[in-house]
Amino acid sequence: MKRRDFIKKSVLYTTLSVAFGAALGRIQKAFGQRPAGRTPDLVAVRGGDIVTMYRRAMREMGGMQSIVRRGQRVVVKPNMAWDVTPERAANTNPELVGAIVRDCIAAGASRVFVFDHTVDQWQRAYETSGIEKAAREAGALVVPANLERDYRDVQIQGARRLQTTKIHHHILEADVFINVPVLKHHASTTVTIAMKNLMGIVWDRRFFHRNDLHQCIADICLYRAPDLNIVDAYLVMTRNGPRGVSEADLARMRSLVVSKDIVATDAASTLIFGAQPSDVGHIRIGAEMNIGEIDLEKLNISRIAL
Amino acid sequence: MQKISFLPHLRKIRIVVSLFVFVAFLLVFLNVRPSILIEITDLLGRLQIIPSAMRFMAMFFAVSGLGFALMLLLTWLFGRIYCSSICPLGTLQDIFIAIARPFKKRKDRKFIYSGNQKYILRYTLLALTLILWFSGSLMLVNLLDPFSNFGRITVSLFKPAYHWLNNQLAFFLERFYIYTVDPIFTPSLSAEIVAVSSLVFISLVVMSVWRGRLFCNTICPAGSALSLAAHQQVFKITFNHDACTLCGKCERVCKAECLNSRTKTIDHNRCVSCFNCFAACSGNGLYYSTQKEIVKVAESAVPENTKRRQFMLTAIGGLLTLPLLKGSAKGQGMSLPGMVPTGTTLPIVPPGSISYEHFTSHCTACYMCVGVCPKNVIVPTFMDHGLQGIMQPKLDFHRSFCNFDCVECTLVCPSGAIKPQTLEQKQVIQLGIARFMVESCIVTVDRTDCGACSEHCPTKAVDMVEWDGLWLPEVTPDLCIGCGACEFACPTYPYKAIYVEANTVHNTAQAIPQSDGPRKEELEEFPF
Repeated sequence: MKRRDFIKKSVLYTTLSVAFGAALGRIQKAFGQRPAGRTPDLVAVRGGDIVTMYRRAMREMGGMQSIVRRGQRVVVKPNMAWDVTPERAANTNPELVGAIVRDCIAAGASRVFVFDHTVDQWQRAYETSGIEKAAREAGALVVPANLERDYRDVQIQGARRLQTTKIHHHILEADVFINVPVLKHHASTTVTIAMKNLMGIVWDRRFFHRNDLHQCIADICLYRAPDLNIVDAYLVMTRNGPRGVSEADLARMRSLVVSKDIVATDAASTLIFGAQPSDVGHIRIGAEMNIGEIDLEKLNISRIAL
Repeated sequence: MQKISFLPHLRKIRIVVSLFVFVAFLLVFLNVRPSILIEITDLLGRLQIIPSAMRFMAMFFAVSGLGFALMLLLTWLFGRIYCSSICPLGTLQDIFIAIARPFKKRKDRKFIYSGNQKYILRYTLLALTLILWFSGSLMLVNLLDPFSNFGRITVSLFKPAYHWLNNQLAFFLERFYIYTVDPIFTPSLSAEIVAVSSLVFISLVVMSVWRGRLFCNTICPAGSALSLAAHQQVFKITFNHDACTLCGKCERVCKAECLNSRTKTIDHNRCVSCFNCFAACSGNGLYYSTQKEIVKVAESAVPENTKRRQFMLTAIGGLLTLPLLKGSAKGQGMSLPGMVPTGTTLPIVPPGSISYEHFTSHCTACYMCVGVCPKNVIVPTFMDHGLQGIMQPKLDFHRSFCNFDCVECTLVCPSGAIKPQTLEQKQVIQLGIARFMVESCIVTVDRTDCGACSEHCPTKAVDMVEWDGLWLPEVTPDLCIGCGACEFACPTYPYKAIYVEANTVHNTAQAIPQSDGPRKEELEEFPF
């Protein structure tokens, strides 16, 4: 083959494959959009065990196959920041994480990644929380997040304080991002739910604390809002959060909230917790910045009591 | 003179035992281990001469600290078994010798008996070490103890190398979505510690490759102490004059250079009981005997006695000055309560170490606690504890904090500087108390919420109280255990707005009350 031919052919094939790829992407996107109005904006369930409530909520949301498509890479991000047992509910319920991972795989996910940038020693937190075991058994890859090399520099368009930060590479590479926080009291942000849980995907959390914590929490949601938020409000830490000191800090509320809107998720969960969403800085700012809807009156909510 | 057939096998047994001990300690220092290893090394650590003697005193003359006495007894009976079988630094030197051997010219591979015994140097060092030790300074103990040197070399030189290899493997496997190897964060070490460890490491390589166990017979205080015990040894390695053919094979393999095959004499003070001579002897030329050696060779006997006398004099002189030194050390010591201004200058010492004085007067700086700490909060220091506490570690809350549900460091300390703790005990040990600097806090200065300190606090000794529409930290000292989570998390710099002020004597914090479990507060209706 002559050099000129080679160049011609390679240019041709490159153009063709790029065009094909783009077309495929568009088709997939078109199919990905479900008819609006059919599924509720938010599902709240109460009165069952955690996995039953989750299954019921997902049925309402159109099943996991409406979120995860065949061959997609999924990140399931629980809160497993603490070297604390599941009975203390400082971390997301491991059974819930296991059930979500199982559903993602059943929906055809190519790989499901589970991680958290922990506060306590990471291997101990992964193990003691019970999430590592549950997620692995369900088929997820439980990956480390303890080294800076796993995080990539990103720019956040529209952010007020957190213009640049470092985010875990699995978030950047994920097709689907499922956020699975646990509803807890938080000493300085009143509550920690879906928005605050995103602090576990960034490397430098100190920056948040130094530069208006609530604003930074809202800013991080601009970068990559989760495709689905599932809040574990079964055992709710009502004081001494976010770590808690004993089981006496917990109330058995047996609830679960699911929504694609991260602000609405937090607003509903805050009300369950017993506080006003507008009193929580990052939720109020999130609404102001149009990240999501704080006014639950405007949403189509499905309320289920089991 | 009976024939004993197992003697040639003693070398193999020694090699197996020494490698087992070496690998066990190596793995614990590197923090790669099944947990059973902690129990094994706990026992083996009690046999380490200097840490064990330290433990004996730290535990108020407890039987568990008598490992060193057992070793002295064993030495008096059979020779310096410790040096070749139990001491990991001895095994490390043997490994250097074995590695270097194939690279040496054939004629340089053999050891030659050395008449130059350097008694003055070694016994002076031993005497100085003991004098300083009993007068309150661990400077020479920490610099010279073979076990602690092994620990420091492992933690500051081998461990970073191991981490690097482990991480390369982890990153490689990650490409294939295999996450069985966990990547490890490598904390940075102080340059002085790396320099000291490298210097010791290089000296050991040079000395061992050049002259075998030269370090053990000139510098090592444990070796010198055992030499004294070996002097009137009950069972001695002795030549069998009828069977010896004067072939000289035994001398060529003698790492301590203490065996003279021509005069058929052995200097038992220097013999490290490696049993190479038994294995090398093709006949039954050597055996263990209770008899006095038949041939006493005049060559070194006289100067030896003179030197011994000199040593005795030095030692007695040293002992006489002891009370004097002790007084002066108390007066000048930097590590004693009352001498260090309370506040930020007193370093924090690990849970289970009772008090600052207890820790600094018993820690030989072997870095076993540094090696096993999962949070890397225990860090080596060079002079933070002064010259008498040279290289002893401390807790550095700017780097990390003490994990609430962890007692690892308390389980491994061989010298008794850190005493074993159960989780319940450890969780109420108060290392210090958090002090809040309100004028330095993000909340009061920037007027934004922060609360990183309270968020990290495992006992809620640091809680947030309402202040001007924001949440401001407040410390309850009785609940504080001084774990440093608040200090670590505090995002202000260069000075933290909350820090732990060390307790000179560790205190007991208020325990978290037992709970009856979660309250039942089910929703009647959704509040939206």
